Amino acid sequence: MTIARDPTIPPPRRLKPWNAVERGLAKVGITGRMLVLAAPVLWLLVFFLIPLAVVFGISLTTKQFGRPPYSPLLTTEEGTVQLTLQFNNYIRLFTDNLYVAAYLSSIRIAAISTVITLLVGYPMAYAIARAPDRWRNIFLMLVVLPFFTSFLLRVYALTGFMRGNGVINQFLGLFGIPPLVMMQTDFAVYVGIVYTYLPFMILPLYTTLVKLDTSLFEASADLGARPIHTFLFVTLPLSLPGIVAGSMLVFIPAIGEFVIPSLLGGPETLMIGRVLWDEFFAATNWPRAAAVAVAMLVVVVVPIMLLQRAQGAVVEK
Amino acid sequence: MAKKPQLAIDTRPWRDTANNKPFVRIRNVSKKFGDVLAVHDVSLDIYKSELFCLLGGSGSGKSTLLRMLAGFETPTSGTIEIDGQDMTEVPPYARPVNMMFQSYALFPHMSVEQNIAYGLKRDGLPKAEIAARVAELLALVKLQDYGKRKPHQLSGGQRQRVALARALAKRPKLLLLDEPLGALDKKLREETQFELVKIQESLGVTFIVVTHDQEEAMTLATRIGVMNQGEIAMVGEPTDIYEFPNSRFVASFIGSANMVEGIVTEDEPGHVRIRSAELGCDIYVAHGVDCAPDQLLWWAIRPEKMVLSREKPTHPHGANVTSGIVEEIAYLGDISLYQVALDSGKRIRVSQTNSVRGNPDAITWEERVYISWGDSSGSVLTV
Repeated sequence: MTIARDPTIPPPRRLKPWNAVERGLAKVGITGRMLVLAAPVLWLLVFFLIPLAVVFGISLTTKQFGRPPYSPLLTTEEGTVQLTLQFNNYIRLFTDNLYVAAYLSSIRIAAISTVITLLVGYPMAYAIARAPDRWRNIFLMLVVLPFFTSFLLRVYALTGFMRGNGVINQFLGLFGIPPLVMMQTDFAVYVGIVYTYLPFMILPLYTTLVKLDTSLFEASADLGARPIHTFLFVTLPLSLPGIVAGSMLVFIPAIGEFVIPSLLGGPETLMIGRVLWDEFFAATNWPRAAAVAVAMLVVVVVPIMLLQRAQGAVVEK
Repeated sequence: MAKKPQLAIDTRPWRDTANNKPFVRIRNVSKKFGDVLAVHDVSLDIYKSELFCLLGGSGSGKSTLLRMLAGFETPTSGTIEIDGQDMTEVPPYARPVNMMFQSYALFPHMSVEQNIAYGLKRDGLPKAEIAARVAELLALVKLQDYGKRKPHQLSGGQRQRVALARALAKRPKLLLLDEPLGALDKKLREETQFELVKIQESLGVTFIVVTHDQEEAMTLATRIGVMNQGEIAMVGEPTDIYEFPNSRFVASFIGSANMVEGIVTEDEPGHVRIRSAELGCDIYVAHGVDCAPDQLLWWAIRPEKMVLSREKPTHPHGANVTSGIVEEIAYLGDISLYQVALDSGKRIRVSQTNSVRGNPDAITWEERVYISWGDSSGSVLTV
């Protein structure tokens, strides 16, 4: 039951110390929503956009000895400020075969790894999505479990498997099979990338697959489609958003991967991450390294835009 | 409404089982999910061109039975024959059966045309034939202008018709419909009911419809199978189910019924007399009943089969008249529903047709009234 309020008594005034602050901010056109948005914007500005601008700036200078090891972008001469932009770092990226080869090789390795990850991850995601409810979370937990240990440690652990006298070769030795050379090959790099990035493929695939209405599969079977046709014409097209999202999540970081090719790959495994490292630390050519990094960003931005379009399509549905 | 006037008695094959072969033959089918018995020893014959309704509440096993016919579930025991062929081991995609799903299950990434053509493409039909067939089906469900749309661009009623067209595309001999009208609003549902019957009759396809809506079942069906707790409680034409229920469950599940307990006092081949303390009078039934003297049984009567009066009517056998006080009146326009409290405390519902406009002399609240009924108006139920 409710008690009717005596209309002659004014309602109690609530004390809101924030009201004054709020009103003061509103006067200068700042609302609470803007303040909330300001936090991520500020974060991105300080830790992403400004450093990026610095990198871009450095990429337009030339290497020189001293500290910092690149020519200044702005110089003052007789009271006038002079801006010196040098594009030869970028020109070198196109003219020097090393860089073109490294980019192409990175894209190739990332693409092949993505396809393998998709082929391995899809059946796993499908199985988890179709597993009984009580098993699903356990399986998902197992997928995420490797993240509980250090990434570096896990990649090192792979060397223990693939070494000349590693676990795999010892096992093969039991059957009299001579040891296989796995370390310092592209094969080892693929193993490393697929192993490391598999969860990033499985999770988005799982979320798309688990949402699919099972009556769609039944309808397909009912209309005369064999299981393989149901998969090709119903399951696969409907899981496309998950495939795109998962592939981008693997492909983009794999292009710039440095640790895996350094630890598992051989000298002939050419990847842009390693070139960047060598340029920066071995050759101390900061401007060239910066140009490599900026170019890599461009290579990666295209797939990111594809990803966002795919996600937009999912949201539409 | 007179249903299926063109169906003469001799075209109702289930009335002459000796000379007609059933099209669908369900034999002692049971289905267990773990420890739960979803369907228990169901045997059912369904004939060609029937529109058979499986009617039951949720969990009655009607959907499981339908899914077994479609092949999505395998019977734990028993056999299912369709058109003389044992279907038990046949996968869904190889059955001459199509299903219309409750959720419609339209493929969201395909247009209306592609949805309808899906089954035909799987059969490898030539392109021209598929296109002609799709156009024909779109015309049948009156969606000619919607072929290029995606399902999410359609209204609920339009989706329902696409689902029907898709299910009919392969010209199945048997169409299974799971709550085909369940997702539609009341007005659309009534319109669609008749459309569905019309389509079924014009194509001559056998329909098996699962529904929980008894009004829907009564309107659509040639015969109804009432299901309760995994078993078939009764199979019969709508009038049989309503007027001659075989059990207390069927009597109370279909429509509304007044049900009283009684004891047999006279058991003759031509009549039965039942004494009911609840009713406060004897019940005289003008036909023989398979029972014994002193047997406890139940008697059910529909509200519209009783008459209310202020004067006590006379009965040749001094039975079938009781009295009580009017407690509630629900005015429904065409009829009024009276709830009368008998002296025993039992409440009886009686409906009276409002044949006089604004009748000032109508029976009203707190009045003592007599309730009477004909000698064969009620059903004697032993189970």
